[in-house]
Amino acid sequence: MKFDTRTLVLMAIAIVINIVVGQLAVWVKLPLYVDAVGTVLVAILAGPLAGAVTGVLTNVIWGLVSDPTAMAFFPVSLVIGLVAGILAGIGWFRTIGKTLVSAVIIGIISTIVAVPIIVYMFGGVTGAGTDFATAYFVAVGQELINSVAVANLATNLVDKILTCVIAWIIASRMPNRFTASFPFYQKAAA
Amino acid sequence: MALIAIENLVFAYGPKMPVILDGLSLSIEAGERVAILGGNGSGKTTLAHWIAGWLPRAAMNATSGAVLANGKAWPAWTALERAEAVQFVGQIPMQQLSGFAFTVYDELVFGPGNLGLEPDEIRKRADWALDICNLRHLVDRDPFTLSGGEQQRLSIAAALVMHPKALVLDEPTGNFDPESRDNLLDQINRLPSDLTIILCDMALKPALAIAKRFVLLDGGRIVADGGAQEILSHPRTSAIFGMPAVMEAALLLQQAGHWPAGEDLPLTFGRAQEQFGRITHVAG
Amino acid sequence: MIGQGNPHTGKTLLFVPGNSFIHRINPLTKLVGLLWLAATTFMLPPMGMAVVFIAAFAFGVIAGAGAVFVRRLVLTVTPFAIALFVIHGLLIKRPDMIDYGLISLSPGGLTYMAHILVRVAALLTASMLFVTTTHPAILLKSLDSHGISPGIAYLISSPLLLIEPFSARARAIRDAQQARGLDLNGSWKARIKAFPALLIPLVTLALSDLDQRASVLDGRAFRARPFRVVLDAPVDQPYERWLRRLLLLALPVQIGLLLWL
Repeated sequence: MKFDTRTLVLMAIAIVINIVVGQLAVWVKLPLYVDAVGTVLVAILAGPLAGAVTGVLTNVIWGLVSDPTAMAFFPVSLVIGLVAGILAGIGWFRTIGKTLVSAVIIGIISTIVAVPIIVYMFGGVTGAGTDFATAYFVAVGQELINSVAVANLATNLVDKILTCVIAWIIASRMPNRFTASFPFYQKAAA
Repeated sequence: MALIAIENLVFAYGPKMPVILDGLSLSIEAGERVAILGGNGSGKTTLAHWIAGWLPRAAMNATSGAVLANGKAWPAWTALERAEAVQFVGQIPMQQLSGFAFTVYDELVFGPGNLGLEPDEIRKRADWALDICNLRHLVDRDPFTLSGGEQQRLSIAAALVMHPKALVLDEPTGNFDPESRDNLLDQINRLPSDLTIILCDMALKPALAIAKRFVLLDGGRIVADGGAQEILSHPRTSAIFGMPAVMEAALLLQQAGHWPAGEDLPLTFGRAQEQFGRITHVAG
Repeated sequence: MIGQGNPHTGKTLLFVPGNSFIHRINPLTKLVGLLWLAATTFMLPPMGMAVVFIAAFAFGVIAGAGAVFVRRLVLTVTPFAIALFVIHGLLIKRPDMIDYGLISLSPGGLTYMAHILVRVAALLTASMLFVTTTHPAILLKSLDSHGISPGIAYLISSPLLLIEPFSARARAIRDAQQARGLDLNGSWKARIKAFPALLIPLVTLALSDLDQRASVLDGRAFRARPFRVVLDAPVDQPYERWLRRLLLLALPVQIGLLLWL
């Protein structure tokens, strides 16, 4: 698993962005996570493996600086990086339209991976706003796992759409001189 | 053989991009103290990168011409060889930190560790660099908490521990206040005399403090290459850099024919005082 | 030394400087110990998990990190507990629900909630014990001396060091944008638009560093050789090495026993 030095620096920067972006969400007082924007950006520029590693290490670092329970969700970050990279590789981050579709796919897949963790590790709750929605669905008689899935899917979709769009905007605005040395991106954009 | 030999280098960053270096030839011998002076857009930093072999491999393609270090083009050097030949210290202090080190000491031993040196040799070099760059009192500090000036000294120390033959400095005192700038220049002057130093800058003062040879870069071309006097009296110099008032005054006198033939332009205020005194005495 | 903590990474890390015996255990041993403990916790009955929680908390207090433990536990566990209580205690219809007029309570649901909470608390406290007594720099040196890939080491150390400088940059961008009229207190539509106005400049600024940083690493011969020499790696006693091997071997044995019994 040998990454080019530039790719490593990109991944390190992306990890910090993933962590600092939470602070921005607090400033705009919105219940956004968008904590995978760095992961998706790396996936677009350097491929699925780099994206996956970025995601996993973000969870590890987050565990070291803030909340160790975040490490339980490393499979979700892994899958986001992997899927985003695969989609980027077949050109599905080239236009805004395709990016939106990719975002929905990523949102669905990441929810599928997250739900078992939420249910098994944490009894179906996340400690965040989605719990209100989960509670609502449970109250009207839905099974726990279905309630968790629907509640989290909704938040996840909005979150991933915002994440992927921002990552796409950043990647498309990069000067050629910068992207020229990311062969994965060059191949995907061809 | 010249340490660095640049032969008719023409370079742009991409096929449709503007030419940055336009047919440049320069030869630097071991042990020289050279200042490459140029304003914004002169190609100074790009040239500095070429001298240090710093362009990412993909971009090391000259449109024409060649850059040879000890007779060999940079792409033919291994990373290991390059690291021990020429070191580069850039403008922005925080960018020079490796990201591996939680303390100043670890930042210093990072490079030699990568070279695979013996631990004793590494410690010896680190101690030496700590003292030369006056960093001993900062040894356990997080490099990211240091001031800009301290980070620059650390970057220079981290470059020195690689025991390079040459050190390329790109506007090392860029954002400093005058006192910190003088401190750093002082430190640079105390570096080992067998170390080749190439200082790229757009201010005259640092260059005058360190270098014996001055190369003037304008629009990607070398327009002057010589000693201090030659540079100071070059028509483009005062236009690009502005000059200390005393030099400008002397230049004006020279242009008006009141400056004695063969008299050097003053490099320092003290010299100017003495010269002006003599001249006005004669005129009066 | 590093153990003193530093203004920047000191603010970033959960590490609490100290000299307890836990601080002094080799980081690799602590890491393996944590992995073993976490895996074992899943195999224990709730009483066992409670023991793990209490023991880890006690050690945390001994190590001088009690305040950090309490803070993190309260912040993380409270929202969980409330949500679990509402969903499992009140809402999910179980056969053993007892009607109290306005609300119905399920003892089975409450037991379930307690099980989840004690497991989360045990895992969280065990992780906190590791994180508060192990400075990443020392952990990385230990991993380095056992052959970790320098690339992975970089991906752990560099982000930790950059979090504080990047947060400062983010604050500077926020202040600059506000001075240009960005409204962080307006309608939710305005705030959604404000978000990229803060994030995109931050990322652009961060990426503008990239070439230089990569070149600096290359200039210092990063990965020029397969192995790098690391000074002052933490002491690794032979008995600690055996302990680690023992713990790692114990796991499959424990799993086997569990499945068999």
